[in-house]
Amino acid sequence: MTIPLSTPLPEQGAPAWRGALLHIHIAPAASYEMEELTQARLVAGRGIEGDRYFLGNGTYSQLPAVREVTLIESEVLEALARNDPPLQAGPVVLAPHEHRRNLTVRGVPLGHLVGRRFRVGEAVLRGARINFPCKYLEQLLDRPLYLPLYNRAGLNCAIETGGVIRPGDAIEPL
Amino acid sequence: MSARLIMKLDVVETDELGGGVRRLVLRHPRRPLLPPAEPGSHVDVHLGDGRVRQYSLCGDPADTSRYVIAVKLEREGRGGSRWVHEHLHQGAVAHVSAPRNHFRLSPQATHHVLVAGGIGVTPLLAMARHLVRAGAGVEMHYGAPSPDAAPFLPELEALLGPRLQGWWSRTRSGRGRFDAARVLAGRDPGTHVYVCGPPGLLDSVRGATAHWAPGRVHAESFVPLAPAGPALPFELEIRSTGQVLPVPAERSALSVLREAGLIVASACEIGVCGACERPVAAGTVLHRDVVLDEAGRARSMMTCVSRGQGRVVLDL
Repeated sequence: MTIPLSTPLPEQGAPAWRGALLHIHIAPAASYEMEELTQARLVAGRGIEGDRYFLGNGTYSQLPAVREVTLIESEVLEALARNDPPLQAGPVVLAPHEHRRNLTVRGVPLGHLVGRRFRVGEAVLRGARINFPCKYLEQLLDRPLYLPLYNRAGLNCAIETGGVIRPGDAIEPL
Repeated sequence: MSARLIMKLDVVETDELGGGVRRLVLRHPRRPLLPPAEPGSHVDVHLGDGRVRQYSLCGDPADTSRYVIAVKLEREGRGGSRWVHEHLHQGAVAHVSAPRNHFRLSPQATHHVLVAGGIGVTPLLAMARHLVRAGAGVEMHYGAPSPDAAPFLPELEALLGPRLQGWWSRTRSGRGRFDAARVLAGRDPGTHVYVCGPPGLLDSVRGATAHWAPGRVHAESFVPLAPAGPALPFELEIRSTGQVLPVPAERSALSVLREAGLIVASACEIGVCGACERPVAAGTVLHRDVVLDEAGRARSMMTCVSRGQGRVVLDL
């Protein structure tokens, strides 16, 4: 479909989308294996109950940054699994419990959500900055990820309104 | 030291082997398979009080459904083994890293001589299981005060038969204390020796093999992290221009390079992400990151956290 130039553009970056929450994972401390939850409570200004960001014991930068909850697109994991773009010798399988982001989402254009508010289940998040890939993850998992995740390592978010979230919840722009 | 994933594993079985040695079998609560471990590998056990101890895996490396470690209670030690003996009973949860290996079997060796001292037998037991299965040339020399104080002796006897020789220093019968010079004399160049045990045993093996090519002698050693200590000032030299930049105690190499207009990308600035790595041409670097492995440390530094002694020349 071609959009005529005269059509007023929507205020949000991506015009119309509605995504879904696939997985919730937390880790009790830095380097600890992620554990999957069937429901989680998001606390405004802090993080997911039980997670390292909530508890303040993660391995992460002291630079000023918001990192209460982190998201990644399942579409990125699928792209890695088919080596797209072909940055590596072959496909890289990165399972949802391995990537160390809290929420694995589908149909959510994370790159458009920097500075934007959006709803996940009962909670409202605000996109902070695009996540920067980390050699730490590469080492933990012992496979090449730094380059494959460049510019698509997910989105770090603030929690504006807390609440309960569950896999299957809708994710929508506000 | 590179980062390793930490798992909360179930202690599914324990038994006391005598001599204060407890054997622990660990399984993942949700996954049937654990990260694989080469023979010789160890895991970090994270104690409840923040301390970390390394224990060699002594199970069958081919069985990735479980890890087996054995911990000797050292009453005069630093307290790690006491913590394990007090807290890790059957049904407990152990916080255990994925394995790493600093004690590898050499693929070039045609014959493997395993020299164990007491509880130092643990990585060598995993090696012996692997070598026997592979049909490789192997013999083990096991030193202990007496057979009662030699953990896993029955397993080793069953596994190795006459290829196992016990050296019991406090029994009247038998060969007495391990005689490295005699055992290791006249070996052909395809023979490699692997030793794990008390410092005296390592010294005796090193002494008896001083004339061997160094790659044929393998000793288990845990690489300590660079001491955190107070930061001291040092200098950076830029190889291409000869420019010398002082790095004061309270500043990072990264910030000094940036101020000098030598743009360095960075992200985490705590030594975990790898973005600010820069090549080193000369000098002594005090590595304080968790990104670089031994090979990486030989050629570069993480400028956000690592420091230098005297002058470090960056290959820029």
